[in-house]
Amino acid sequence: MGSVTFREVRKSYDAVEVLHGIDFRIEEGEFCILVGASGCGKSTLLRMLAGLESITSGEILINDKVVNEVKPKQRDIAMVFQSYALYPHMTVAQNMGFSLRLAGVPKAEIAARVGEAAEIIGLTDYLDRQPKALSGGQRQRVAMGRAIVRDPQVFLFDEPLSNLDAKLRVQMRAEIRTLQQKLATTTVYVTHDQVEAMTMADRIVVLDAGVVQQQGEPLDLYDNPANRFVAGFIGSPSMNFFDVDIVDGGLQFETGYTLSKPVGDRGRAVTFGIRPEHVEIGEGGAEATVTVVEPLGSETLVQLDYRGVPVTLLSKDRLGLKPGETVPLRLDSPTYHLFDPATGVRL
Amino acid sequence: MSETAERTSPAHYALVVVLALLAIGPVYIMVMTSAKNQVDMFSRVPLWLFVPTLDNYSTVLFDKKFDRYLFNSLFVAIMSTLITLALAGSAAYAIARKDFWGRGFISYGNLMVRMVPPAVIAVPVFALWARWGYSGRFEELLGLTLFYTALNLPFAIWLLFSFVKQIPEDLEEAAIVDGATPFQVFRLVIFPLMKSGYAVTAIFTFRIAWNEFLIALFLTGRKARTLPVAIQGFLTDEGVEWGRIMAMGTLIVIPSLIITFFAARQIITGLTAGAVKG
Repeated sequence: MGSVTFREVRKSYDAVEVLHGIDFRIEEGEFCILVGASGCGKSTLLRMLAGLESITSGEILINDKVVNEVKPKQRDIAMVFQSYALYPHMTVAQNMGFSLRLAGVPKAEIAARVGEAAEIIGLTDYLDRQPKALSGGQRQRVAMGRAIVRDPQVFLFDEPLSNLDAKLRVQMRAEIRTLQQKLATTTVYVTHDQVEAMTMADRIVVLDAGVVQQQGEPLDLYDNPANRFVAGFIGSPSMNFFDVDIVDGGLQFETGYTLSKPVGDRGRAVTFGIRPEHVEIGEGGAEATVTVVEPLGSETLVQLDYRGVPVTLLSKDRLGLKPGETVPLRLDSPTYHLFDPATGVRL
Repeated sequence: MSETAERTSPAHYALVVVLALLAIGPVYIMVMTSAKNQVDMFSRVPLWLFVPTLDNYSTVLFDKKFDRYLFNSLFVAIMSTLITLALAGSAAYAIARKDFWGRGFISYGNLMVRMVPPAVIAVPVFALWARWGYSGRFEELLGLTLFYTALNLPFAIWLLFSFVKQIPEDLEEAAIVDGATPFQVFRLVIFPLMKSGYAVTAIFTFRIAWNEFLIALFLTGRKARTLPVAIQGFLTDEGVEWGRIMAMGTLIVIPSLIITFFAARQIITGLTAGAVKG
C-alpha cells in the first residue's frame, strides 16, 4: 500500500495547458476516483502517475517519494487499461505472469502467484486460454489479475468498465470494489461515469477543464456541491437549475413564480438548484407541462417543461401522468442550492 | 446488409473467371510445354493430349551448373529477405511510434525511392560495382543481396508500417508498466504480433529477389549467375530450347509457391484478435 500526492501538477502540450496545478493527496489503501467529462484531463493525470506521460511542472509522489523522473516499472504500480490491453499472443497465465517474468522471478514462483491471483478473480480454469477465447467480463478480470499478481503499491484503473454492457458493468463494479476492500491496495480509478464514482469510491475528485473542482466523500459531494459544475455532474438524473432573483421574502423566478425562502442580498440574481427527487407535484405549485414519462418500476422519472425551462422530477410513486398533461410543480423543498451565476460557486 | 447487396451479378463471376484465366493461363502453358517433347511442342494443332516426358527436367536438373545457380538464387533471395525484414521491421516501428526529427520526410521520401525503376539504377550501380572491383562469386552475390535489400527496403518499411499501426498502443504501454525495456517491448510484444506482416513482407521481398533478372544479368559473372539469368543460356546459336526454358521456369516457380503456401496461414490469422474489445 502506498499514498499518492499531486503537488501543483501541470501538463502542457506545446502552448496549450491541459492540467492547471492539480493538488491533492490519496491516503494509503484509499479508493479514489477521478471523475469528469471527456477531455477534462483525468486520464492524462492518471498516465502521468503511471509514468506514461511527462510532467510539465509540479511533483507527483508515491509513498512520499517524488517519482517525476522514475520509470514506470520502478514506480511499483499496476495499471488496468480501458481496452484491457491483454497480450493477444499469450495465454491468460502468460499475460498475468508477464511482469514477473520480466522481473526475473523464478518460474515456480510465477506459477504460484499467478495461480493465487487467478483464484482471487475466479479464472483458475481459464489460465491456458488466449484472450480471444474469453468474454468481455473475463478479459476485464484477466486485466485485473495481471495487476494483482504484481502486488503493487498502487492500482491504476483507466475507465476499465466502459467497454462492457450495462449489466456486466454493474456486476464488475461490485467485484472491483470487493476486491479492493479485500486487498486494501491504494487505488486510483478514472471514469466519466458519475454513478461508478458514487458507488465505488471512498473519495471522489471531480475534474473539469484541467482543474480540481471539488474532492470529498461521495455523499458529501452530492449534498454539498462546491459549485454548479459539481452539482450538475454528480447525481443522476442531474440537478435542475433556474435563474432567479432574490426579492423581499424569497426567490422570484423569471416566470413570476415566487418561493418564500429566507435569503439575503435583495435584488441579486442567482442560480437556484434543486435535485429531481426534491421536486414535487402538489397544490399551489407553478404550472408545468409533462413532456416525457419514464416509469422505472421502483420509481418514475418525469421530464417537464416549465415555461421553456426543462425540469426533471424523480418520484417513488407511479404518478400515472401522461405527456401533454399540465401539473402544479412544487419547488419549495427545504433542500436546495444557490449558485453565483457568474462564477458558479455555491452561495 | 441487405440481400441485394450480397448477391453477386453474373458479370462479376465472368470477370473473376477471365482474371483467373489470365493468371493461370501462362503458368498452364509453361507447365504443359515443359512436359512435351520437341515434336509435340511445335505441332500445328495445339495438343491437349500428349505423352508427357520428364526429359526437359532431367536435362535441366542434371546439368552440373544447376546446383550452383540454385544456390546463388537461394542465397541472394534468402539473405536479402532476412536483412530486409530485420531493417524494415525496426524502421517501420520507429517511424510508426517514435518521435524523431525528420520522421515525416523519411516516411514519405521512403516510398518515393521505390518509384524509381530498377533499370534506371542499374547503370549507376554497375559503375559503382566496377569502381569497387567486385569480381569473386561471393562478392558478387553479396553485392546483389545488398542491391535487392535496397530495392525492397522502402516498400517493406511501408508494408510493415501499416502492420505496426494496427497494433494498439495500449499493449506497448501495458508492457512498459509491466516493466519491459523498449527492446523487450519490441521483441516480446510487437514482434510476435507482426508475424503476419513479416510473412507478407517476406513473400514480397523473396519473390522480387528470386525472380529478378535485369540487375542480376548486369552484376553477376558466370559463377554468380542466378536461375533467371541462367535461363537465357538456353537461347543458343542453334535455336531456342523451349522445353528446357519452360522446365527451368516451372522449377523457379516452386519455392515461391511453397513459401506462399506456408505463409498464407499467418496472413489469414488475425493475431491481434482479442487484444482489445471485440
